[in-house]
Amino acid sequence: MSMAATDNTQTPAMAQEGAVTRFLRATEIDSRMLGMIGALLVIWIGFDAASAFVRGGEGLLGGSFLTPRNLWILLVQTSSIAVMTTGMVLIIVMRHIDLSVGSILGFTAVCIGTMQVYWLGPLVGVGHPAIWIITLALGLALGAAIGAFHGSLIAYFGIPSFIVTLGGLIVWRGAAWSVIRGETVAPMDKNFKLIGGGISGITPGSIGAIASWILGLVICAAIVAMIYNGRKQRKRFNFALRPMWAEYVLAVAGCIVVLGVTWVVNAYYWPKGVVDRWAQQTGVTVPPEGMNIAFGYSIPVLIALGIGIAMTFLANRTRFGRYIYAIGGNPEAAELAGINTRKITVLVFALMGMLAAVSASISSARLDSATNALGQFDELYVIAAAVIGGTSLAGGLGTIYGAMLGALVMQSLQSGMTLLNFESATKDMVVGCVLVFAVWIDQVYRRRVK
Amino acid sequence: MYRKIMTMAAGALVLGLSTLSAEAAGKNICVSWKTFQEERWKTDEAAIKAVVEGAGNKFFSADAQGSAAKQQADIEGLITQGCNVILVVAFDSDAILPAFQAAADAGVKMISYDVLVEHPDALYVTFDNVGVGRLMAKTMLEKGKQEGDFAFIKGDKGDPNATFLFQGIMEVLKPNMDAGKIKNVCETFTDGWKPDAAQKNMEQCLTSVNNKVDAVISENDGMAGGVVAALEAQGLAGSVPVTGQDGDKAALNRVALGTQLVSVWKDSRVLGKAAAEFANMIADGKAAAELPGVGKFSGGAKGVEVNAVLIPPNPVTKDKLNEVIEAGWVSKDEVCAGVAAGSVPACN
Repeated sequence: MSMAATDNTQTPAMAQEGAVTRFLRATEIDSRMLGMIGALLVIWIGFDAASAFVRGGEGLLGGSFLTPRNLWILLVQTSSIAVMTTGMVLIIVMRHIDLSVGSILGFTAVCIGTMQVYWLGPLVGVGHPAIWIITLALGLALGAAIGAFHGSLIAYFGIPSFIVTLGGLIVWRGAAWSVIRGETVAPMDKNFKLIGGGISGITPGSIGAIASWILGLVICAAIVAMIYNGRKQRKRFNFALRPMWAEYVLAVAGCIVVLGVTWVVNAYYWPKGVVDRWAQQTGVTVPPEGMNIAFGYSIPVLIALGIGIAMTFLANRTRFGRYIYAIGGNPEAAELAGINTRKITVLVFALMGMLAAVSASISSARLDSATNALGQFDELYVIAAAVIGGTSLAGGLGTIYGAMLGALVMQSLQSGMTLLNFESATKDMVVGCVLVFAVWIDQVYRRRVK
Repeated sequence: MYRKIMTMAAGALVLGLSTLSAEAAGKNICVSWKTFQEERWKTDEAAIKAVVEGAGNKFFSADAQGSAAKQQADIEGLITQGCNVILVVAFDSDAILPAFQAAADAGVKMISYDVLVEHPDALYVTFDNVGVGRLMAKTMLEKGKQEGDFAFIKGDKGDPNATFLFQGIMEVLKPNMDAGKIKNVCETFTDGWKPDAAQKNMEQCLTSVNNKVDAVISENDGMAGGVVAALEAQGLAGSVPVTGQDGDKAALNRVALGTQLVSVWKDSRVLGKAAAEFANMIADGKAAAELPGVGKFSGGAKGVEVNAVLIPPNPVTKDKLNEVIEAGWVSKDEVCAGVAAGSVPACN
């Protein structure tokens, strides 16, 4: 198949291809990702237009969806699920499933909360800077340990992952309840709270305008450098090159997206109440027309982005990552080729557990409390996001960025429907239908490509 | 109706006879729990036991461990053991009816505790659940806001309590809504009563009305936590009153801090104490209809009319925090964490 495809590029058939196909071939953009971005834009524009009819606002089309504020909150709301999908992709690629992530999230969240409020708080003094570091580190270790335990049951005892993690789903939810006997642990440590992106006193959980612009420009430069470097490498190994115009298109489009997002997060300003509190405590006088202090990128979104980049690197550029895809493609062949599939399985589940702990930190910090119900049903959203993002349940296929986009699509639907005051029953039905529809589209696409 | 009066009369007669025959001995008051694994029932049991034994009666209990069949066997066993009054927290209020009938036939008095069992001879002792909604709204009108843009964060759509609460809330707010003083700007159910879901719903609500929210009616404390987190991100926490219920420690702390207006508290010790006192009186021969505060209740699924005592819950606001502390429900340190000195009387 691949040979036929390469042959194709040299035949006159190319001239008969449509402009879109030619563009996609030249830029090597995954057309499925393009489709998903298109769907996302349709959803966003649709919600903005619909909310313009309902109530009106300052959005692009006069609604309240495409406003900096809503988009900023949307990104924060997505971050917890997005972090977990990066791990879930690898698990599904390996032909496994993890149903326990929501419960691990709940359990680690209440453990982190308990350590902060009942143990370390009284011990070293509430608000001590060591508290958030210690509890975060222990929380991550706990999540990884639980994941590794699940992984070893699967790998060394031969229990199917569906069963092990279904058990985990029940066990860890129960464990979360027993740690705090159904109570709510609050408030979280004031430094830890910043991980959630909220405002702790007068310190915002975001990096502000200047740092955001710098970050945006750095990412932009990185994109250009990667494209340049990629071209150089291809030349060195005599690989087919993208046409020059395609390289420019990619670089410019990448930079426009990054700087556009940066502009949006910088266009969301501190609400008046927070500005007043800040002015009061710092002694600054606020001019009568108010002050515009930008939020910039929020910490949970940066965490999610960082993890997305790191996981993409792990999946595509490391031996560990390539082994995962090899096992998913054909477990027997992978094992015969000498890959230690059991060890990889344990490591992947441990990684998943640790990512669930990261999400636990984000969610509990955002809520400023930990409850045993935290993360309930999250496993379903995480799996749904991965599947909407093009991860094949048959194993071997799936990308990190696709899954993260899938998470954004799901959260956009939910946020948008809440914004429009939809009944929650309707919301559930829509999200369920979209999940099935997205997978169907994906199947059709795959068949056509074949 | 005629038949019901006859059964009640017969019951009173039986009771009269049995009190004659067992005048001197202490009575046996028994409880059948649906499941004793939940923390709260232990609190109830301690309260009931204290009152029962304080009156010179004996206390027995059985745990159905979450099984309707075991609970039926438990009650039959308690009847055989010679219980005079049995309090039942029913696991399945329909499946337990035969056991209630058996008890009535044996002349044993039944009290359905917290969970309604629609048997005409049983006394129903519970917190006034519709009243919780009314109390939330009433406190909001009295100590929060009387008018403006209200947001309603309701509980899980599958839980009938979420709807009962909302009925009570609307009953109280309706005059002001009809007069155009109160506007319902957001109203949403919350999956599984989850605080994080409530936070997201509140964020979307604030976005959609551009922060023009004057008050939030949240149906419980957990969700109120999410609501306050969303308000805080917009610098509105403290200026927008929020309701809740359950008497959660974190919520009582928010009440002290001023970010939550009220937590309607259903003190299970008050419920246990009241039920035990009724049990003592019934064991001494008093008819259920003659108990203090008793009324008729027919709000169940089948509409069966039963004698009922509805205990009013306690709306805990900033000025009433001393009550929860004095009751030993929560320590002063927990309530007053982070509270500025002198701002709350209970914390001084």
